[in-house]
Amino acid sequence: MSKSTTVSQAVLSRRSIRAFTDQPVPLDLIRQIMDTARWAPSGCNFQPWEGAILTGEPLRQLQAKMQASQPQDPKEYSWSDPEVLPECLARLQQVGADMYTALHVERADKAGRADFMARNVVSFDAPAVLMVYFPRVMGSPQWSDVGMWLQTIMLLLREHGLDSCPQEFLSMYSKVIKDFLGVSDESHIFFCGIAIGYQDEEDPVNHFDRKREPLDGKIQFLGFE
Amino acid sequence: MDVTEAVASRRSIRAFKDQPVDRAVLTRVLEKAQNSPSGGNTQPWNAVMLAGAELAKLLAKVAEVIPQGLAAYSPEYNIYPPELEGAYAARRFGVGEAMYAALDIPREDKASRLKWFGRNFQAFGAPVLMLVHTPRYMGPPQWSDMGMWLQTVMLLLREEGLDSCAQEAWAVYTKQIRECVDIPDDHIFFCGLAIGHGDRDQVINQFPVPRAPLDEVVRWQGF
Repeated sequence: MSKSTTVSQAVLSRRSIRAFTDQPVPLDLIRQIMDTARWAPSGCNFQPWEGAILTGEPLRQLQAKMQASQPQDPKEYSWSDPEVLPECLARLQQVGADMYTALHVERADKAGRADFMARNVVSFDAPAVLMVYFPRVMGSPQWSDVGMWLQTIMLLLREHGLDSCPQEFLSMYSKVIKDFLGVSDESHIFFCGIAIGYQDEEDPVNHFDRKREPLDGKIQFLGFE
Repeated sequence: MDVTEAVASRRSIRAFKDQPVDRAVLTRVLEKAQNSPSGGNTQPWNAVMLAGAELAKLLAKVAEVIPQGLAAYSPEYNIYPPELEGAYAARRFGVGEAMYAALDIPREDKASRLKWFGRNFQAFGAPVLMLVHTPRYMGPPQWSDMGMWLQTVMLLLREEGLDSCAQEAWAVYTKQIRECVDIPDDHIFFCGLAIGHGDRDQVINQFPVPRAPLDEVVRWQGF
């Protein structure tokens, strides 16, 4: 997709991309983006983020190891258990329903849905993936810092015509990923992957409508004229 | 403004001009920021935007209890991890030291340092303070979602010519905040975000803030 130069364009054009072309991501460009993203803010300037960016043969090797493994039990962390996120379950189901509708996969087609879910493991064929991890001692406010860094990266990618998909899904293979990267499972938690590449503009999975809550109810204004 | 410039020019602004912020601008920013990503499209962020007399009321209430020191603190979460090691422990103090060095306030001058710290609770003179909260059942990944939204807001504010300062410090006065604004009991208060026109001529808005070198943060395979 074309570049989204301004902040507004980048924010509005960023979406989770689930079909990429095979155009490679140049190292110079991704280095420049990651270098700029260091200026993301963090409480007390901890900068609690760490990561590895893989492409080419190492990425294929890691994906083969994940494909040969079972999702880990217990999970690395709880994503969003529907039981404890009652208000959010509907939103989660809505995204799924909209996505499968765009893909023409019926609700009853369990195999079709499973096939598509499995494409998460290969990061929807994105040519590069950022694997994100950090020390286990970090608490919830530091997870927020990591989020600020990740969104900074995703918006900078848009500025340069690149797309992304954040994938908490990959945490199902946390131990495999950490083992492959030589990251200590004892000291570090694996959070997510960020698939990075150029989107396949033809694929309908990149075009379904995403729903967002209205501002009213989320934001109160007090004391304004 | 392009994304790179917004990212590079965003810094925690600790002195604002006495110039109001138009509510319509804030609404525009927040509408766009709704497009922030979140796991399972949870959108766990909520906020109260305070200005004018309502903001003054909160600042006055907190000013009353500041002399009580730690006894008045009521944070609902640990702002710092209890056990930090190595590079992370060093980073915690780096920014404070850089700030006080720029202000020429030595470590021994505790009174002056405390006075500067107290400016947190005037929102550094910003005309708007955003108070961020989220349902208590949200776990760490949803806090990451809140962070993505917060940075989206901060970058969109840069595009509007506005500045901000994310302030976890407000968490210590959660009780006073709850007395002034309606944050549901089943929500946790996370942080403040001071918003306004930064006075970029002030020394406190100019000192260099250190960042870890890229190769300390990210490694590369297969390029």
